[in-house]
Amino acid sequence: MGPVQGSRFLAALPALLLLPGLLAASLLLLLSGFATASGFADFFAHPQFWGALGLTLFTGLASTALSLVLALAAVSDTGRNLARLAGASLAIPHLSFALAFGFLIMPSGELARIIAVLFTGWPQPPDWVTTQDPHGLALTAALVLKETPFLIWIFTSLMNREDLQTQFSGQMRVARSLGHGPASAFLRVVMPQLLARSLWPLVAVLTYGLTVVDMALVIGPSSPPTLASIIWRDINDGELVTNARGDAGVLVLAGLVAAILLLLVMLFLVSTPLLRRLLAASPRRGAGLQRLGHFVLAPWPLLYGAAGVTLALQSLAGLWPFPHLLPDHLSLTAWRTLMGSGSAIVTSLVLAFSTAGLALVCAVAWFESQPKPRDRLLLWPATLMLCLPSLVIALGQYRLFLQLDLAGTAVGLFLAHMLPVMAYVFGLLVQPYRSYDRRWQASAAGLGAERFRFLRQVKWPMLKAPLASAFAVGFAVSMAQYAPAQLAAAGRFTTLPLDAVTLSSGGNRALTAAYGIALAAAPLVIFLLAGRWGQGRWRAR
Amino acid sequence: MLSRRQFLAVSSALIAFPQAARAADWDATLAAAKGQTVYFNAWAGSDTINAYIQWAAGEVKSRFGFAVEHVKITDTAEVVKRVRDEVAAGKQDGSVDLVWINGENFRAMKEGQLLFGPFAESLPNAAYVDVEGKPTTRQDFSERVEGLESPWGMAQLTFFADGAKVTTPPLSLTELAAFAKAHPGRVSYPAPPDFHGTTFLKQALHDFTADPGALYQPAEGPAAEKLAADMFAGFLDGFHASCWRGGKQFPKSQADLTQMVADGEIDIGITFNPNEPANLVAAGRLPATAVAWQFAKGTIGNTHFVAIPANARAKAAAQVFADFLLSPEAQARKADIKIWGDPTVLALGKLHADAQKLFTATAAPGSVSAAGPAVLEPHASWVPLIEKAWLARYGNG
Repeated sequence: MGPVQGSRFLAALPALLLLPGLLAASLLLLLSGFATASGFADFFAHPQFWGALGLTLFTGLASTALSLVLALAAVSDTGRNLARLAGASLAIPHLSFALAFGFLIMPSGELARIIAVLFTGWPQPPDWVTTQDPHGLALTAALVLKETPFLIWIFTSLMNREDLQTQFSGQMRVARSLGHGPASAFLRVVMPQLLARSLWPLVAVLTYGLTVVDMALVIGPSSPPTLASIIWRDINDGELVTNARGDAGVLVLAGLVAAILLLLVMLFLVSTPLLRRLLAASPRRGAGLQRLGHFVLAPWPLLYGAAGVTLALQSLAGLWPFPHLLPDHLSLTAWRTLMGSGSAIVTSLVLAFSTAGLALVCAVAWFESQPKPRDRLLLWPATLMLCLPSLVIALGQYRLFLQLDLAGTAVGLFLAHMLPVMAYVFGLLVQPYRSYDRRWQASAAGLGAERFRFLRQVKWPMLKAPLASAFAVGFAVSMAQYAPAQLAAAGRFTTLPLDAVTLSSGGNRALTAAYGIALAAAPLVIFLLAGRWGQGRWRAR
Repeated sequence: MLSRRQFLAVSSALIAFPQAARAADWDATLAAAKGQTVYFNAWAGSDTINAYIQWAAGEVKSRFGFAVEHVKITDTAEVVKRVRDEVAAGKQDGSVDLVWINGENFRAMKEGQLLFGPFAESLPNAAYVDVEGKPTTRQDFSERVEGLESPWGMAQLTFFADGAKVTTPPLSLTELAAFAKAHPGRVSYPAPPDFHGTTFLKQALHDFTADPGALYQPAEGPAAEKLAADMFAGFLDGFHASCWRGGKQFPKSQADLTQMVADGEIDIGITFNPNEPANLVAAGRLPATAVAWQFAKGTIGNTHFVAIPANARAKAAAQVFADFLLSPEAQARKADIKIWGDPTVLALGKLHADAQKLFTATAAPGSVSAAGPAVLEPHASWVPLIEKAWLARYGNG
C-alpha cells in the first residue's frame, strides 16, 4: 500500500468500523441462537397475524404515499422557504406528537370538549372512534403529519444547495418560457430530480411507517395491532418461547420491508415510460398542485401550534376531566421531576453533539477518500439499520459489548449512539454529496487551488445546507435513542430518553408531556439553526 | 410423599443455624457491604415510587455505608434477558445487583438458575414477614420462593371509580356486567397480554368455573381449553357487547385505562395496588370523590419481591438493602398513601409495640372501602393458554 492509498484507507476506516463493522458484529452475535424454526411457525400461527399484516401494510404504504404527495405539493409552492417551519415540526419526537395529536382528536380530547362546551353540552365523551380506529386511520394521519415535514426538510435542503439552485432556476426558466405555470414546471422539471436524489429518505419514511412502535402504541388500534407492536411485545417478554416468536417476527418484518422496496423499484421501472409521457405532456398551469400546497401549509402551523400548546398544558395538568377546556389543577410537579434529571440532560446533549459531529466528519472523510461505487459498503448497512427494530440491534450490540467488556462503559454508550446516527447522517448525505458537480472542482483546480482549500472555500460552503441538515437529523436521532442506553449502558448512565420512556411506562401524562417538551427543545434549536444557516436563496419566480 | 424440592426445603429448615452463628454471619455481611454499590434494577414508571427508592438509598448510605443506584427500567423482562446474556457470556461481575421481580420473571430466572441464594429467609427482618396470613410471600404465582427472593410488598386486584358517577360499586363480575349493561361503552379492561388484562381473565376464569381447583393444576389438554371457552361463552361474549367500543377494541395498558378514567371516558379502572387510587387522589390525578373496592368473594392477589442475580457484584450490600426494605420503618413508610401506598408484607402482630405504631393506616380519599379476600394466582400454565384463546376469539375486532 503506497502512502496515498494508506491515507485514503485511514480516512475511510472510521466510517467502516462505525457503521458496517459495528452493525455486522452486533448482528452476528445476535443471530447465533436467533429465530428458531418453531419461532417462525409460532409467529405465522399468531391469532392476530393476518389482521396485523393488513393493518401494517395499509398504514405504512398509505402514510408514505400521502406524505410524499403533500410534501411535493408544499415545496411546489416555491415562494416560501420552508426549512424553518419543517425543522420546527421535525424536532418534536414522534411519541410526543402522537400523544398531543391523540389528545386533540380523541373522544375525551380537546376538540370534543370544545364542541361539548360550545354546542352540545355532552356530559360525557361522545362515542367517537377517532383514536384506536380498527383501520388505523388515526395512526396513518399522525404518521403523515410527522413524516411530511421530514420530506419537506429533505427536499428544501436539496433545493437550497447552491449548485442545484442554479441548475433548477435555469431549467425552470426554460419550462416557464415553454408556457408551463410555476407548479407545472416544478412538477415536470424539479420533482423528478428531487425524487431521484431522495431515494434514501423515502426508504427511511416507508420503513419507519411499516415498523413504528411507539406511535402505534399510543394512537393505533389494539385488536389487531400492527405487526411491529406484536413483535415489540414478544421480544420484551420474559418467556424464551415468546422471545423466539418475536425474533422470528423481526426477520419476517425486515423481509416484508425488503420485499415492498423491491416491488416499488420494479413498479417504478415498469411505469417509467408512462411517467415520461406525463412529464412531456403539453404545458399546463398546474395550479391544482399549488392549491394543494397552500392547503397543506395553511393548517400546518396551526396544528403543530395546537400540539405544542396541548403538550405544555398537559405537562402542567393534574386532573383534567371531560368536558373542562382547561385543567382543574395546575402543578409544577412534572417539571420538578424533570429538573431532577439534570445529569441525564447533560449526558444526552454531550452524546448528541459528539455523535452527530463525529458522524459528519467520518462521512465526509469517506466521501473524499473513496470512489462512489464503494458507497454501497455503507449504504446497505445504513438501510438495514432502518429496517430492524432498534431493540434488536441494541440486543446484538449489547452481546458484542459484553464480549469486549464495553457494556456499562462510557465508550459503549457512545458507540451505541454512534451506530444509528452514523446510518442517518451517511444516508442523508450520500446523494447531495455525490451528485456535487465535479466541474466546480475542475474550475478550482484550473485556478490553482489546492484540494483542501477548494473543499474549505468552495465545496463545503456550497454543500452547507445538506451538511447542516444531516447534522441536525443526526443530533435528533441521538437524542431519541432509548434502547441502546438501556442495554449498552446497563443502567450505569442515565440519558434523557431513558428517563422519559421509563417514566411514561407509568402513564403519567404530565410527566410524559414535560419530557416530550424537553426532548424536543434541543433538537428544535439545532433544526432552526441548521435551517437558518443552510438557508439558500431558492426562488424560482 | 415429599417432592425433591420440598425435601430440600424441609431439611434445610431442620438444620437451621443457631441464633448466635446467624448473628455473626449477618455481621460479616454488614462488614462486606460497606463501600459496595448496589445497582437496583426497578420499574421506574412512577415518580412516587422512584422518590421512595431515593429515600431508601439515602438511608442505607448513612446507616450502612453503601450506595444504591436506581437503574430505571420499563419492564423487568429486560433485566431477565440482560442477566441471561451476561451469564451466557461468562460475565461474573454482572450489571444487576438487585431486581424488583415476581411471577413469570421470577420463574424464568429460577428455572434458568440465574438467582443467588437462598438468602431471603436468613435476613434479620424476615422474621416479621406474615408468612401465615400472606401465603403468597412464600409462593410466587405457582413457583415456590425457597428463599431466592425477599418479599417487598403486597398486591391485589382492585377496582376504582369516581364515586360521584359509580354510586354502588359492583362487587362481583356479574354485578360489573350488569353495570356495563346499564352504562354501555363505559367499562373495559386492558387488552391481554397486558398483565392487568390477563389477570382480569384469570379472575373471570376463577369466578365462572364450577371447580376452581382445576386452575391450580397445570392447564393441559382439551379440558383446560373447554374451561376457558365456557368462560368466554358464559361471561365475556355478553360482557363485551356493552364494553367500550363494543368490546372490539381495548385500552392497551393499565396506565391507559387509568388515564381514561381520569379523563371521564371510562367509568371503572383496574389496579394491582389497592392504594394506587388513594395515591392518585393525593397526587391530584383522580378526583377526591374516587372510591376503590375489591370483589366480595375475593380478587387475585400476589406479592412482589426483590431478588439477587447469581452474577451480582455486590451480593452483601444487596442483602443488606433487601433487609432494610423489609424493616418495619421502611415498610411503614412505603405503606403510607402519601408516600407510595404499597401494602406491607409484615405481620403487624409480630412487631414490637413501637414498630407497630409506625403503621398509621388511616383511610384517605380513594382508599379501599370494601375489601375482599385474596385469591391465589392460578398455575402459571393458564396464562399462555388463556391469552392465546382470548387473542383467537377477540383479538381481531
